[in-house]
Amino acid sequence: MIDPKHTPDPNDERLIEHFRQHASGEPPASLDAFILATARREASAPQPSLWQRWLQACQRPRWQMAFATVAGVALMIGLVLRSPVPEDHPSSLASMELSANRQEPSAAAAPPAMPAPAPIVRMAPQGELARAPASADQALLEKPATKMSKVAPAALPSLEQGLMEILRLREAGDGKAADEKLLALHKRFPKEDLPARLEALRKR
Amino acid sequence: MPAALDSPSDESLLARYRNGDGASFEALYARHRQGLYRFLVSLSNKAELAEEVFQDTWLSLIRSTTQPQGRASFRTWLFQIARNRLIDHWRKHGVHNPLHDSYDEQLHVQPDDASSPEHQLSLSRDQARLDAALQALPEDQREVFLLRLHGDLELPQIAALTDAPLETVKSRLRYAQQKLHRLLAEEVPA
Repeated sequence: MIDPKHTPDPNDERLIEHFRQHASGEPPASLDAFILATARREASAPQPSLWQRWLQACQRPRWQMAFATVAGVALMIGLVLRSPVPEDHPSSLASMELSANRQEPSAAAAPPAMPAPAPIVRMAPQGELARAPASADQALLEKPATKMSKVAPAALPSLEQGLMEILRLREAGDGKAADEKLLALHKRFPKEDLPARLEALRKR
Repeated sequence: MPAALDSPSDESLLARYRNGDGASFEALYARHRQGLYRFLVSLSNKAELAEEVFQDTWLSLIRSTTQPQGRASFRTWLFQIARNRLIDHWRKHGVHNPLHDSYDEQLHVQPDDASSPEHQLSLSRDQARLDAALQALPEDQREVFLLRLHGDLELPQIAALTDAPLETVKSRLRYAQQKLHRLLAEEVPA
């Protein structure tokens, strides 16, 4: 279809040139202005880099809110997943208060090398044990602990609490209930020497 | 009207414009506005229609994201868009498309003495007479001549644009030029 050998006739070229010299007609200035203005308006802005686009997005309040929300949710999820769950002391808040006030250095039953939060919680009832069991202070302080245990009904009493309960039952003359408690406690803590610990508690 | 050797090509100007360089479009527009406008005015023979199609052509180019396909140059592409728009307009308004008439060039051949060396004739410079001569051409001959004149397109480009065989385009151009010579010839006073 394409003929590379096509050579224009000089006369024909003269005719074309003649028409070109005498041709007239221009698009109206208003049409020029309209087309050029449209072209300028619709010229696509150069694509910024990914980093620039991210920075621009961060500067917009809408995106700032979105980023802040996402960061907040992520932080909350992280905190929830990482926070330690207390296993065997439902009245930990009250016990911690008690232990801060009443912990005695001579508590022989407390293991010395245990991590900080656990000994404090476990030692609290021992501090209470050193005092008179029927004191008014103790009754007042036990109320919040009871409330807390209702909040977390699935949690079981600690070993020390169980032992104290057994001692209390025995002192009250309810030996059968005390034996049942001891049996239940033995199932939960089979490796513990419960009679020896009961004896130590009783002596204190 | 080809671009100078040291200036960027039409295609690169279009590519720059597509990347956001508004000044490239202005350069491209300045190169082709006059030729395209004159082509449309001469082909449609209506200034108003020519302006409408001219505007549509440039706006579609502005809003399009495409580039000239294959080996087509920007100019061929631009004139093809304009031609298609004009044909669309004729079709939309129920106007018979004169460019689709089958035309037997042989029936219109007349002896052309003007180009012979024995007859040194000058061509009329009267604008009205030039315009009248162009309008006297059959539509398909006029189209080929105008694409050569205002688009500065080569015959193979015109053949591709009008979807006609190269030999047909050649003969159309030849007959058009012969007729124009005849219509515009003026005897040179001795």
